[in-house]
Amino acid sequence: MNLDYKFMISDFPIVLRALPVTLALTLWSMLFAVAVAVLFGAIILRNVPILKQIVMAINSFLKGIPLIVQLLFCYYAIPYLLSNLDGFLFIKFDPRNVPYFGAAVTAFAFNFGAYMTDVVVSSVKAVDKGQLEACYSVGMTKFQGMMKIIIPQAAVISIPNMANYFIWLLKATSIASVVNVVEMLTTARISASDGYQYMEAYLVAAAIYWIVCIVVERLIKRLDVRVGSYNKKLTVA
Amino acid sequence: MADGVKLMKDALPGLIEYLPMTLYFLIVPSIISLILGSMICAVRVGRKNVLYRIATVFVSFFRGTPSLVQLYLVLYGLPKLFEIFGVNINRWSAATFFVIASILNFSSFVSEALRGAYLAMDHGQIEAGYSVGYSRWQCLLHVIVPQTLQIALPNLKNLEIDLLKGTALAYTIGAVEVLGYAHRLIAINSGAGRMWVLLAAAILYFVINVVLEVFFNLLTKHYSKYERSLA
Repeated sequence: MNLDYKFMISDFPIVLRALPVTLALTLWSMLFAVAVAVLFGAIILRNVPILKQIVMAINSFLKGIPLIVQLLFCYYAIPYLLSNLDGFLFIKFDPRNVPYFGAAVTAFAFNFGAYMTDVVVSSVKAVDKGQLEACYSVGMTKFQGMMKIIIPQAAVISIPNMANYFIWLLKATSIASVVNVVEMLTTARISASDGYQYMEAYLVAAAIYWIVCIVVERLIKRLDVRVGSYNKKLTVA
Repeated sequence: MADGVKLMKDALPGLIEYLPMTLYFLIVPSIISLILGSMICAVRVGRKNVLYRIATVFVSFFRGTPSLVQLYLVLYGLPKLFEIFGVNINRWSAATFFVIASILNFSSFVSEALRGAYLAMDHGQIEAGYSVGYSRWQCLLHVIVPQTLQIALPNLKNLEIDLLKGTALAYTIGAVEVLGYAHRLIAINSGAGRMWVLLAAAILYFVINVVLEVFFNLLTKHYSKYERSLA
């Protein structure tokens, strides 16, 4: 194949410089997704009458439609929403500087939050019921028992699944290039548009994504071993 | 609001017209990937030779990079690859490139799902197969394949749903399917009512998803009929 190897080597640092944007997008989305998941999961676990049905309906709808549709929807809806809310509280909307990054984070947070809700619910349910009874028997309130005993254990149980979604999310952030977020893939495209060396630039981007994914996977495996040592009885797949 | 409902109603017939394209992007890659994925799985559970190394790198690459990047790589790379052999494939449609990229991506995921199922299968079953005089092929056909498929079915269902949602990516390279048409419609109306058109597309995707899920649930039920309940 007649690839422009010189360009690939010179392009590597340029694309790599956009890696922090991809990671920031991933981390912010993950943070809000976990928040959404915990909120939704709490509603489902507490069996709040009407809210539970609403949350479950929203979840199955969010899981049933493509991520790119949600991204495009947020891409159109967030500026629309903000322009209507302009001047309300501290919200200021500048049409020349539309928060595409925020729109992408919103879409990712809700999509992955819907998936992670299941993780939250199943990992809280996986904690032994006797644990909460033990809390009561030593005089803890339900809140204390949840905060100090149940949630830490559930968090450990949820690590492998959450890690899977984290890697999934890391790869999914590339779709944000469709909605004007300048992350790694967009940077690769821009850097290639001078000499039409798209193949080379995308190969560089793919290599960086691959390396990052492998590194993250290794780190998570380590974390799992480290945290899992407190919990040897559980065999986590 | 009433405006929006009318916009959605107007958009739906056109969107449904492009449904066959989405289904084509779903069905063709899933059939070919099942074959290719089983082959990769067979290599990956076998002896650790050169083929095993190649398959491992293949699976790692296609699972470790975003599908959008793979799509672009196929779109720009395949013509260059074919150029070496003197074949010009620049005339191929975007849909073909999307299907090829889909197959490469999906078969690596399928191979991992099958590999997990194969390893989870009770290997006493294979020995039992040999002990009643099955040949290797008979053992594969009557013992390994049915049981592996049965264990892998829930995973395959999830992957299939992901594949369906992944077909929406095809519009980024210009292959027109449901989302592609929605995008075109938005462009024709210069952005008027764009959220409603997208919502209509979303509802359509949701409906296909529900159908797919029901189909797989029936399949799971059919397969688990033969499962002996552990008393």
